[in-house]
Amino acid sequence: MNIAVCIKQVPDVPAIRIDPSRMTIIREGVDSIINPLDVIALEAALQLRARHGGKITVLTMGPPQSEEALREALAYGADEVVLLTDPAFAGADTLATSHVLARALSLLAPFPDLVLCGRQTVDSDTGHVGPQVAEELSLPQVCGVSEIHLEGSSVVVKQVSEGLIYTLRVSMPALLTVSPELTLPHHCPLANLERAFTEQTVLKWSTRELGLSPDEVGLAGSATRVWRLFKPPPRRKGEVIVGSAHELVEQLMEKLEALSILDEETGSE
Amino acid sequence: MNERSYSGIWIFGDYRNYFQNRVTLQLIAKARGLARTLKTEVTVLLLGDHVHQYAMEYVAHGADVVMVVDHAALRHYQVETYTKVVAGLVAEYRPEIFLAGATPFGREFFPRLAKRIGTGLSADCVALEIDPESGLLIQTSPSFGGDLLADVVTPDHRPQMATVHPGVFEEQPHNGSAMARIVYPQVEIESDDRVQILRSRAEQKGKVRLEDAPVVVAGGRGLGSREHFDKLFELAELLGGEVGATRPAIRSGWAGNERLLGQTGKSVKPKLLITIGTSGALQYTTGVQGSETIIAVNRDPDAPVFKIADLGLVGDARTILTLLLEKLRKRL
Amino acid sequence: MRFEPTMKQAVIRRTARRLAEEKLAPIAAEMDVTGKFPLGVAQEMAALQYFGLVIPHAFGGAGLDMVSYSIVVEEISKACAAMGLCISVHNSVSAYPVYEFGNADQRRRFLTPLATGEKVGTFCLTEPNAGSDASCLETMAVRDGDGYILNGNKIFVTNGGVSGLNLIFAFVNGPGKTKEYCVFIVESEREGLEKGQNEELMGMRGNPVCPITLNDCRIPKENRLGEEGQGMKVALSTLAGGRIGIAAQALGIAQACLDVSLRYATERHQFNKPLTEFEAIQGFLADMAARIDAARLLIFRASNLRESGADHVRESAMAKLFAAETAVYSARLGLQIHGGYGYSKAYPIERFYRDAKVCEIYEGTSEIQRMVIARSLQRGRGSP
Repeated sequence: MNIAVCIKQVPDVPAIRIDPSRMTIIREGVDSIINPLDVIALEAALQLRARHGGKITVLTMGPPQSEEALREALAYGADEVVLLTDPAFAGADTLATSHVLARALSLLAPFPDLVLCGRQTVDSDTGHVGPQVAEELSLPQVCGVSEIHLEGSSVVVKQVSEGLIYTLRVSMPALLTVSPELTLPHHCPLANLERAFTEQTVLKWSTRELGLSPDEVGLAGSATRVWRLFKPPPRRKGEVIVGSAHELVEQLMEKLEALSILDEETGSE
Repeated sequence: MNERSYSGIWIFGDYRNYFQNRVTLQLIAKARGLARTLKTEVTVLLLGDHVHQYAMEYVAHGADVVMVVDHAALRHYQVETYTKVVAGLVAEYRPEIFLAGATPFGREFFPRLAKRIGTGLSADCVALEIDPESGLLIQTSPSFGGDLLADVVTPDHRPQMATVHPGVFEEQPHNGSAMARIVYPQVEIESDDRVQILRSRAEQKGKVRLEDAPVVVAGGRGLGSREHFDKLFELAELLGGEVGATRPAIRSGWAGNERLLGQTGKSVKPKLLITIGTSGALQYTTGVQGSETIIAVNRDPDAPVFKIADLGLVGDARTILTLLLEKLRKRL
Repeated sequence: MRFEPTMKQAVIRRTARRLAEEKLAPIAAEMDVTGKFPLGVAQEMAALQYFGLVIPHAFGGAGLDMVSYSIVVEEISKACAAMGLCISVHNSVSAYPVYEFGNADQRRRFLTPLATGEKVGTFCLTEPNAGSDASCLETMAVRDGDGYILNGNKIFVTNGGVSGLNLIFAFVNGPGKTKEYCVFIVESEREGLEKGQNEELMGMRGNPVCPITLNDCRIPKENRLGEEGQGMKVALSTLAGGRIGIAAQALGIAQACLDVSLRYATERHQFNKPLTEFEAIQGFLADMAARIDAARLLIFRASNLRESGADHVRESAMAKLFAAETAVYSARLGLQIHGGYGYSKAYPIERFYRDAKVCEIYEGTSEIQRMVIARSLQRGRGSP
């Protein structure tokens, strides 16, 4: 089965700081990484390929430095990687981004049986791109899958939603977004990294190769605008107590009483 | 596009898990305020099979109109089927604003719908206001795990769509004598069977339901060993909660990946979080800082976890956990 | 002249860092306390080519360039200096010499097991009477038929406790009865090689350092590395390359000191403000950071020169000298920043302090490095 994985290069979020004067992200000294859930999607693709064969194509829309993320994807084991890059793509919201990705996917020959993405990114957090790509390509979608199994011309997936586990059959071609429970990424062998950077190639497509006009993409092709950015109000900081273990546990018990945690019928039900 | 030809505030009636999931009611309350400013009405769109009782609830909680599409094919939430029906209704009735709760279904369905319609959508909003000058809906959407907020607008496309974080707004009390119009538009329903539900079952006891637990007990590297980490399970049992873990604890093999809290794991907002032996790295705190009350235990008085705690205890994680269990066993 | 890492180097750094944080950081403190070398983790690392960093793919290695190599060693050492020491010695002065000077047969028999980590390698030079003064080596290889018989005592052998292949520096009687260096590859299981108990050391306690004794150890001539007469060349080339790896390992310790100290100084409050607002602390942090940056640049320069095949004796000596002293410097200031907590084993800085000191001693003491640099200046390579 052929699989396409859409990834995004994002800042390493725990290292992120906000510039309070300009209300923008301070990017200096912050590493760019593959969005963690996208790595999980790629790992899932690798596991499917190991069982069923096929080709894995990884795509990303981003500035030229996103090539780094694609080479890392090659090191993980992707067969082919495509960088969708063009100054016209800047400022895109998810509507415009999904348009570019969908167009690129439609140019893959053969068309993939599965398109995988992370459920959401650690920077924008929207989770919109997957469903919007699926919509443009008229693919059935399931978001937040925790298991994927191939069964003939369908995949059977598990999705946990509001306390229920759904087992769904999805006919291919389909788009799935993955949740963290699906798998853990393996560690990249260094030899693969070396090869990914020195021997392998990255395809680069701009508006020309994609057959898109500038008003369909980037800021021009977006429906939303950001008016301003600001930091949320700080969370309360409570008291910090030092003392003997007994004193501390006493305080803890008092707090539990105050919250009525100990009143309820607790224990197994 | 002529903005003036769009009017009305619509809310998607997400009735699944009705008694725990109050977000539709919260949105109705908020929308009423927005509707007053825009001098328009609040309509709740309700799709399902035999869902009349929810229509009544929505009336009682403040809807001006409830639009009901009741059909067997709509029995289960199904993204493609719903998208077709709702997109058709939006094209016909042209609401200016369309809101949905950021439930798992809302977050899967609304982006597809927005794309079908060709309009803008903001995610998981924590505030909504009408800009007095432009009349646009200002949608405040979080990014970077909540570290940065963005005020987003959709200037030229309609409807202006947003999913809203549950628990941000407060519902109006139930008013049994409220009146509203209930309409039943004629819609052609085509079931898309490319996604079929084979079965569904409740997550079993023993299966982790961290997101729903009223109490979460989380452990990190400070617990030192698997033996000590395992004590968290007894603590969770005694307090009626679930066990979560930080990435270092999971990497040490003390718990499975399904218990991971944080950036690439689960986000929880329990009534109470007790976090023991966790330093409070940002990858972790973004997943737990929404908890109502946080009690943290760490032997380092300067551990960042104390910045998000309502009560911080400076001491050895293992000693405190052991002692706490002793006291709780006697007490309960 | 480029100062930024390339895309490849940035990804390699991140990859090594992730492995170090997930596999080594959680066990580093325990390794220091128990003195136990983590074989399981080492095997996982071996599968990812951490034991064949600069060895070509054809032999099972990662085929990295020297700058990338330095980056990997730095990141591993930052999380766990004892493991950083293990892989830098294994890669630089055990596996690489076999690649550089081994014939096809030796590469097949010895290089692939080293590069794949199937066997951990050592470099045995130091003896009870031969530390800085290598001319005092007493280990002798006497010709016996087609091979040699080795006798001698090697001490402070890094990786010794877990090694499978050992590079033994010995003297052979050359033509005309002059002694010359010779390097032999001796399998740990060869009869006549005995390992003593692991040393109880101040730091680097997770690395199994032990004495290796050769007692009438008979080895075939196929185990001699390089031609007779080449021994000195093998020795000097190996030492120069080893300096860069050790420098990177010392840099890792220094960076670890800065990272924990910066975090501590940001969170710790006294007199109603964080420590970072006090000039004295700012001075400490600034001095640590400047030296660490300088050490890194010296390492990159030496790496670049070695990679391009140029002479790098002086530059690698400078890198090693400066990085080692920076590690000790950073550990001292870092511990001071931590105050009383720095003296407690609950915080890692005291381990960094103990680990750092040996960097000024092994792979050529700082005094020896100064001698090397001074001689190079006298030979006329003063200004650029």
